[in-house]
Amino acid sequence: MAEAIHKKLQSELEKYQQLQKDVSKSMSSRQKLEAQLTENKIVKEELALLDYQNTVYKLIGPVLVKQDLDEAKATVSKRLEYINGEIQRYETLLKEMERKSEQHREVLSSMQQEYQRAQGQAVGKA
Amino acid sequence: MASLHDQMAATGKVKPSKDLSQGVERLKEEHKKVVKDCRSQIEHWKKVENDYESLQDRLRTLPDKLSYDIMVPFGPLAFMPGKLVHTNELTVLLGDNWFAKCSAKQADALVEHRKKHVNNTLDDLQKVMKNFQNRADFTDDLEKLTGDTGDFADIREEVINEEVVTKGKHRLAHKPNSKPKQEYLLKLEEEKEKNESEEERATGVLSEEELWARLDELERQEELQDKRYRLDSTDTNGEDTTSSSEEEKEADGGSDVQVNGHQKENGWVPSSITSQMNGTNGSHPEDDEEEEDCDEEAGNGLPTIYFSHTAEFKKVRINTGKNTTLKFSERKEQKVQAKRKKQSGKSNGHSPHESYKIKSPADIYRVFVDLVNGEPIPRKSILKSRSRENSVCSDTSESSTADFEERRAAFGRSWSHDDATHSDTSDGITEEESPTGTSPRTNGRFEAFTGTVIEKDPLPCSIPHLTIAPPALPTIPERKLEEVGPEAPQEPPKRMSKFKATRLHQK
Repeated sequence: MAEAIHKKLQSELEKYQQLQKDVSKSMSSRQKLEAQLTENKIVKEELALLDYQNTVYKLIGPVLVKQDLDEAKATVSKRLEYINGEIQRYETLLKEMERKSEQHREVLSSMQQEYQRAQGQAVGKA
Repeated sequence: MASLHDQMAATGKVKPSKDLSQGVERLKEEHKKVVKDCRSQIEHWKKVENDYESLQDRLRTLPDKLSYDIMVPFGPLAFMPGKLVHTNELTVLLGDNWFAKCSAKQADALVEHRKKHVNNTLDDLQKVMKNFQNRADFTDDLEKLTGDTGDFADIREEVINEEVVTKGKHRLAHKPNSKPKQEYLLKLEEEKEKNESEEERATGVLSEEELWARLDELERQEELQDKRYRLDSTDTNGEDTTSSSEEEKEADGGSDVQVNGHQKENGWVPSSITSQMNGTNGSHPEDDEEEEDCDEEAGNGLPTIYFSHTAEFKKVRINTGKNTTLKFSERKEQKVQAKRKKQSGKSNGHSPHESYKIKSPADIYRVFVDLVNGEPIPRKSILKSRSRENSVCSDTSESSTADFEERRAAFGRSWSHDDATHSDTSDGITEEESPTGTSPRTNGRFEAFTGTVIEKDPLPCSIPHLTIAPPALPTIPERKLEEVGPEAPQEPPKRMSKFKATRLHQK
């Protein structure tokens, strides 16, 4: 009886740990996205400071490719929107995972209590 | 950062009380870690800023020459002489793999824009660092507080007469047809029974005559009080906040605040608060000068100061509303006393220095009496003295600060007195007490309200009178007073009050 509970406890624990890892992964990717967001914001502002005379290049691999200023601006704006969307997605994902991990935590604690009781009983019997 | 915060909060909460020190240590560690992190980040960003500065310098000087002779790096290990040409054409990295060809000046503008960003980040970091530093300090303080070290002390005030406190707050100015709540009247009865002072007082219902006399006196008090309010309301010294807080305190003290208009913020005990320390100093929170040799029993782990209220007139600072504040100055009083002793028979002279006991603000009114034809007549307002020099108040427009400091010192001294030395403190305060004149007010008990209180009967008593044709003030005949003034018959003859008139008329 105690053994079964013990096994169940272990499995629950593993699931919980997995969830925690997922949470931390999402967190880190979200942070990366945040950094990209700030960077693209700065690029957009600096592009605004330039005029049509300056040529804009994009680094694609080892090559600097000439770009149109307006095109560049548009590209950067689109990228910004994309990043924002990604961040939103990650936010919701993170909340979900938090909720699930909370549930798991509760389950775990209740199981632990059960286990303790079972242990106590087993000791009492033996 | 958020997770760290949560973590820290969790660690702070989880520890039970016996692991308190451990928990505090842990918390402090976390705080310090954050602070260190912030510091390193700030350093980093400062370096970045310096780099940008030097870059700007270079950009400004670069287009000065058409070409520069330089040593060009050739691989990782060698240089070779070369020329730097097209000095005004720069390819700038805008971020995220975007480049732009600009002139030196445009590049300068870009760098300026980036520097702004860096400065913002720096500011944020500074704020965070300061925040966490404060938190760390606070945990330190908290530890000291609970751990009994440091100069923290618990201030406890044993409130014995709850009713008095509440009554002081809830009493309204008298309205002829308003009926005070039944419970207040009942509490009145209780309070009468709980007598602590040794002076004589009447328990139970007074005779009607005494009631009437008492009524007159209360009405007069109320008029004085009204005057005070009016004077106070004209004050614009910005001391209103203190006065309101003082008022609350004073109401707590079981007496009203009318006597002293405003008090200085730092720690004047208003006269009506009249606190008395039993064996320990009252560490009036704002008054740092008062000694805090207050280490009483460390029953709860902290030195405790017991604070209790009695009706004792200490010092008062009265604001006349005309940019002068009258101060009740001990020294001046003594001077005045000496002078008065020399003089004699002045109509405004106060009676000579007696050892009086002022136990309520009402007692103060006794002090401010005018001697008219040898009879003490209570003055309408203690702020309006016929002759300034004879008043016990001194003008603050004169040198007041020195006075103040001295008084505070004296005050601090007087606070360390024990209960038994009650008279000492009252001696220190040179007040006079009119012998009999307004003694109805000196019950020696708590007077929650110095104004006139018109109370209506509790229901049963008034029933028989419902059949009577209502007089002008229907409840006067059955009025019961809050403070029974046994000395009521001793009141000096005074002007006819409208109540008296009505009463006489009724009779």
